[in-house]
Amino acid sequence: MQNLDYFFIIQAWPLFLKGLWVTLYLTFWANVAGLIGGALLALCTTGPYRLLSAPAKLYIEFFRCTPALVQIVWFFFCVPILFDVFWSPIFMGVVILGMNLSAFNAEAFRAAIQTIPRAHVDAAVALGLTPFERTAYVIMPQALRYAIPVLITNGIGLFQQTSLVALVGVDELMYNGRLISTSTYRPIETYTFLVLFYLAVSIPIGRLAAFIEARSDRALKA
Amino acid sequence: MDNLDFSVVWKFRDALAWGLMMSLLLSGICSLAGTVLGFFIALCQQSRFRAVRWAAALYVEVLRGAPTLITLFWVFFCLPIILGVEINAFWSSIIALTLYMGAITSESFRSSLKSIGQDQYDACNALGLAPATRTFYVIAPQALIRAIPNILSNVISLFKESTLVSAVGMVELMYTAQSISNITARPIEILTAVALIYFVIGYGFSWVVSSVELRIRARVQS
Repeated sequence: MQNLDYFFIIQAWPLFLKGLWVTLYLTFWANVAGLIGGALLALCTTGPYRLLSAPAKLYIEFFRCTPALVQIVWFFFCVPILFDVFWSPIFMGVVILGMNLSAFNAEAFRAAIQTIPRAHVDAAVALGLTPFERTAYVIMPQALRYAIPVLITNGIGLFQQTSLVALVGVDELMYNGRLISTSTYRPIETYTFLVLFYLAVSIPIGRLAAFIEARSDRALKA
Repeated sequence: MDNLDFSVVWKFRDALAWGLMMSLLLSGICSLAGTVLGFFIALCQQSRFRAVRWAAALYVEVLRGAPTLITLFWVFFCLPIILGVEINAFWSSIIALTLYMGAITSESFRSSLKSIGQDQYDACNALGLAPATRTFYVIAPQALIRAIPNILSNVISLFKESTLVSAVGMVELMYTAQSISNITARPIEILTAVALIYFVIGYGFSWVVSSVELRIRARVQS
């Protein structure tokens, strides 16, 4: 085994940080898209209109049952040809990761919406709230609370999935890490550092999710 | 948009079938090996010795906190240097996916072990069973059956994650698809067909999982 040398990491630092920035950027905006998309999809599937619920269910099943890498590769290769659009790779990454996350978040929201007792809906109807008011002021605020731990877990999962877009050439953390490893011939140090970078983000957020879950479990029991 | 020609998929059916077989083989081997590994990790997490517990917890945190792609690259690029032996793409894929499956499955076992009441342990002690007898004849069989639905859904995740190994040049369905689409310059047809193949298998399997889950739940409760 060769001698390890962590000194070069200092020289590669800017490239690491730039990659980390792109990874966090992708994670943040894909999460924003995934939360909005997921909530809309969940409303479509739980709503009374079959014209909305059937396609939404198909969308969710499709994105949940196919590998993320297949979705990403499909999106990066086929969308520019099919629709004749050329977006920046980072934007494409945000869109496809957001679409993927939407499907998983939709399931989280749907499960949460279904835990809300039927009596609440009936009470809202009896009070003469419009369907919009019922959804926005009665159902969703409660559902959100049940869904939060799962939504955070999905968000961390997405953070890890951002590494996949490195394979289609988006220069995020994983991509830059591979670049550094091949240009310095020091895979052990580089990949070990990459692992640390990912853990430094995902473990604290995972702890936060566990903490919030424990707290909301207590609150809901009380 | 040029006209689509799906006959290209049929022309390459042998290569795609071979790729699919490799994907299924990889998922199958790693599911079995990972389940065994995960069971031992879960037992280690309940160990009396703090060092063993911490090592197991560290393993699970790292493997779950870092993207599987990095695990794969670490095994592919770093492990051969550290061990001084050659590890080809096939064995790297097997090792990385087994490690991943072990980590997520240990969590399934941990929660199923936790669901077994203290009275079972007390009864074993009262009967004077040795710790090994207690673990393998009383606790393990009950934990196993409760963990089955979770493990099956882990198998689905593993099947989806198995697309990653195409990144280190392991020839499976995704790798085959990308090679064919590069050769024929028909990414839309090939990638769509492959996405559908993944969908059919993933959806079919998740349907099996949910029906197994219903049956086991009925049995455990009775």
